[in-house]
Amino acid sequence: MKAPFSPYLDRIAPAIRALVGELGRDYDYVSVLSTDSVGFRVAISRRSKSVSNTNMTTERGNVVRVYRGGLYSEYAFNDFAPDAVAETAGAIRAELEKQFRLLARTGSAVYETGVLADEPLTLLVEKEAALLPERADLSALVERFTALSDEGLKTIPGALDCGVNGISTHISKMFVTANRFLRQSYVYTEGSIFAYAPTEDGEMRTVHGGVSGCGGVEILDGLRAKLSSLPQTMRDVLGAEKIVPGEYEIITDPTVTGLIAHEAFGHGVEMDMFVKGRALGAEYIDQRVGSELVTMHEGARCDESVTAYAFDDEGTLAGDVVEIDRGILRTGICDALSALRLGTQPTGNGKRENYAHKVYTRMTNTVFDSGSDTLEDMIASVKYGYLLRGMQSGMEDPKHWGIQCIIDRGYEIADGKLTGKVVSPIVMTGYVPDLLGSVSMASMDRVVEGNGACGKGHKEWVKVADGGPYLKTKARLG
Amino acid sequence: MLDIIRKKLEALGADAWELTEIEKRGWEFYFIRHRLDQNRVTEVKRIEVKLYRAIEDGKFLGSASGEIPPTATEAEIDERLSSLLYQAGLVKNPYYTITDTPVDVPDRTEPVDVEAIAEDFMRAIRSAPETATEDINSYEIFVNEVTRRTRNSNGVTYTCTYPSSTVELVGNARRDGHEIELYRFFTSGTCDAPALVGEIADVLRYGKDRLEAVPTPKLPAGAVILSTSDALEVYRYFVDRMSAGFKVRRISDWEIGKPVCENASGDRLTIEAVSSLRNSSCDFPVDAEGAVIRDRYLIRDGVAENFWGSRQFCEYLGLKGSSMVHNVRVHGGAQSAAEVRGGDYLEVVEFSDFQVDPMGGDIAGEIRLGYLHRGGKVTVVTGGSISGSMNEAAAGMTFSRELKQYDNYVIPSVTRLEKLRITGVAALT
Repeated sequence: MKAPFSPYLDRIAPAIRALVGELGRDYDYVSVLSTDSVGFRVAISRRSKSVSNTNMTTERGNVVRVYRGGLYSEYAFNDFAPDAVAETAGAIRAELEKQFRLLARTGSAVYETGVLADEPLTLLVEKEAALLPERADLSALVERFTALSDEGLKTIPGALDCGVNGISTHISKMFVTANRFLRQSYVYTEGSIFAYAPTEDGEMRTVHGGVSGCGGVEILDGLRAKLSSLPQTMRDVLGAEKIVPGEYEIITDPTVTGLIAHEAFGHGVEMDMFVKGRALGAEYIDQRVGSELVTMHEGARCDESVTAYAFDDEGTLAGDVVEIDRGILRTGICDALSALRLGTQPTGNGKRENYAHKVYTRMTNTVFDSGSDTLEDMIASVKYGYLLRGMQSGMEDPKHWGIQCIIDRGYEIADGKLTGKVVSPIVMTGYVPDLLGSVSMASMDRVVEGNGACGKGHKEWVKVADGGPYLKTKARLG
Repeated sequence: MLDIIRKKLEALGADAWELTEIEKRGWEFYFIRHRLDQNRVTEVKRIEVKLYRAIEDGKFLGSASGEIPPTATEAEIDERLSSLLYQAGLVKNPYYTITDTPVDVPDRTEPVDVEAIAEDFMRAIRSAPETATEDINSYEIFVNEVTRRTRNSNGVTYTCTYPSSTVELVGNARRDGHEIELYRFFTSGTCDAPALVGEIADVLRYGKDRLEAVPTPKLPAGAVILSTSDALEVYRYFVDRMSAGFKVRRISDWEIGKPVCENASGDRLTIEAVSSLRNSSCDFPVDAEGAVIRDRYLIRDGVAENFWGSRQFCEYLGLKGSSMVHNVRVHGGAQSAAEVRGGDYLEVVEFSDFQVDPMGGDIAGEIRLGYLHRGGKVTVVTGGSISGSMNEAAAGMTFSRELKQYDNYVIPSVTRLEKLRITGVAALT
């Protein structure tokens, strides 16, 4: 079925359009993004169970963007009275005027920017979802999660607890300007299953698996399959040794490949960083940054993932950008205001944490293309190194192209064979062009995952997805 | 709106309920090299509801939480509350009670002057000691007036208004066409201009030093000193492991009255949870569940003294009068900062992202700037990483008498961890 657009937003649409008209008397550009997204979060473990109708993407509110004298200003609010449009417009004007007076008093100069185009467009996109979160049978879900948790506790060696989480949000967003009226409705769902157990030394080790995608609560059915690999993974990490620091040949599984994509040339080509002179990528357009085997796409249209929207939070239609083409950096991704400042086109990557937050250039799906190798051939080609599996976290350094990835575990490879020895955890660091320049093999398959969230600096959390094939390269592990 | 929901809750038949309204008025300013990129205002109201149902004659307690949008119609409120009541019956947690002790501290309703605080931040940042080669790339200022109104079915009622501010700042340093950047994320109640300017001055100095840095050499396991906000990760590890949630989930095996670390040879750790800390962004005396926050020791002289946490997990441990912890004071060690810095060590002042995993105790961080002290010589280094385990490092940990505040934590200004693995990127000379 199609995920129906929010009746609430349809109800306030005439008043929002009136608000745009009212503010248009005082400002050269006015837009309003209105949101109404409902969903749930269910978390079940042996020791704690919870159900909530909120999660990181549920929201209802509005943000007005206005432009005058080279400056963009915003006013976010969530107590909108459709029968008081003039009063709302007055409150917005008055509060922004107070800020302008402070800026004048402090002698603040403005980073002057041109006015956004406002090409006419009307759009309604309602994506498919079999089971909407607001209609899901949470009783059945709790029962299934409880059974999975119990099974995990029985089958995962040493597990002190096994948690099963499910999140689903039905997102509705409406973007209104004088000439544009865009509406979209879609559902994304993600689930995870994890367990923890102590080593003989008392150090706690965690294993996890996840499912995610653009679709309804039916996506959580995939959690059962994820449980099946966790007992062996736990045996692996409980018996793991510490790695001897050094540079190694490595093969990255799709989750680690995705982490590299995200941290290496994901953040590094967010073009709001170009505006600030914070990204080295700006100086490397059309230059080699990886081997011939490295092609990377970015865009909400690249994959039907947790971030497969039709238009972004500035009303720009979703895109599919080839950032790296056979090792050559071609372009970055861009929000609308950064595009104006850089004299380029926006790519549909202007995202907000929610309506109350500012737009930044943000990733959507960041994905390496597949290659032509098999994992078996890749392992056979390694003299000495590690097959890296399971991502934990990463950190970008767009200014210097350093990369830090925390990885769950490495499986030792010697003379083309897995030896059975496991090391865990692993800190992978390196210089991005070296890492991508050393990519010598890529597998035929490809996986994109969207569990978790991405911050910009230490804030602004949004949903992203990333992935790719198995890659063979070299990196420093510690 | 709050009264309408409260009346509906009372009529609904839930065994218990909690209702919290959080009203946030924010002023935000975004600058690129001191030129205004964008200004923003936020006026946001969140109404959170949690409903409880006793299950199987009170053997279990179920709960479900959600938000009521301020624009919800009465029919929508009824629908959302009914859903929550049904969902509360789905989860069976062992029975516990919600907060039932009347709040004995007065409401705080004094308004916050967001305009004045924002102006203080702007003027402070512009007074930082920038030079032609070390300067501020960009910064974002967020100033909020937060009003939290807490109500529950046991008659607990409390209202508190407080300031909460954030500054994100990026500094640059350049030489011979090469430019580097450093990132900082400051949180506080209001603007402490001298402290902020001092931090920015450090950032600019570190930037200049990083331009001189050589690749970190391959080193044997050794001492690492932390003297910036990264050290918070170390102390948060101890605070997290004293949480009732960790204890109930068996992630923490620490026990009251026993040392948190066997065979400790370093400083004895004392960590105090405090109800109030000057200029903390969490300077409120009542937690989100309506429990009054009292000063208490979590760890004293290296011995676990009090777990902390939500009412649910504290009751499971049989604890009375506990609460969440928002402000923390760590006591200083036996030595001065200069003494802690004795001998050979690597002092890291910039990481990509320094982490201490509160579950496993794993320590990890890529080095962006460090000062390697060996045989009386100091080398500025960059690259490589440090790794280790807090479970092992805690025993020999030492820290300074001198203290420093980072928002809601006061910690020793210098912390030393022994025997960490240092993965260098160059040969040792």
